[in-house]
Amino acid sequence: MKFAILITGAPYSSQAPQTALSFCEAARKRGDDVIRVFLYGDGVHLANALSTPPSDEANWYRRWSAWIEQEDVEAIVCVASALRRGLIDEREAGRYEKAHFNVTAPWQIAGLGELVSAGNDADRLIHFGPA
Amino acid sequence: MSQPSYLIVVDAAPYGSLACREALDVALALAAFDQSVTLLLRGAAVNGLAADQRPDAIEQKNLAKNLGAAGLYGVETILAIREDMQRYGIDPDATGVPVTLTGASQVDTMMNSFDRVLQFG
Repeated sequence: MKFAILITGAPYSSQAPQTALSFCEAARKRGDDVIRVFLYGDGVHLANALSTPPSDEANWYRRWSAWIEQEDVEAIVCVASALRRGLIDEREAGRYEKAHFNVTAPWQIAGLGELVSAGNDADRLIHFGPA
Repeated sequence: MSQPSYLIVVDAAPYGSLACREALDVALALAAFDQSVTLLLRGAAVNGLAADQRPDAIEQKNLAKNLGAAGLYGVETILAIREDMQRYGIDPDATGVPVTLTGASQVDTMMNSFDRVLQFG
């Protein structure tokens, strides 16, 4: 089974990133594939490299990034959702003349076409929303 | 699977959050890539069909205009729940958006007829 994952709930204000990660880990354990993770809407906050929760709390940015690198999964952040929420990579920071950026590998900023192709290539598109 | 059919469900007031706007953007992107896509407005989302909206007063763009143009971009059908339209007093003939009404009791069966269902709000 090939899964594509859509996350639209933000970490710390919704359960979506944690539930999605548990789902992905369980899927890989079963031998299923996760072909792409797509962050959209408030879900883009998961890709914020500056996220710094207290050290005795779960760090969803770090946990997700480690899993993506370990499994070599494509991790896409929707450009329109990201830019209006202050999530920006080095290239976009240059284009918009921003002094800083907070989206780095393994996350990549791209357009909604990446969600469309993931939806088509996967057997199932699983959506983890804010509620 | 080639060419799955998509249903985008919106269940949030049009200007209370970005849910409606971002759901519509997904629907338009799917349509732009020649996917079969239907939009379903339910709950407070049916207010997006209200006539004579003036969201410029709160510095927002008019969602009804975008809904009205969705057909041109290839969104096949815009559905709205009849009971929700009545609850919010939205007249389907006054919206300017070609909308098909469906009963709340038919939603579950209808959802099962789509390959991919994404819910916003």
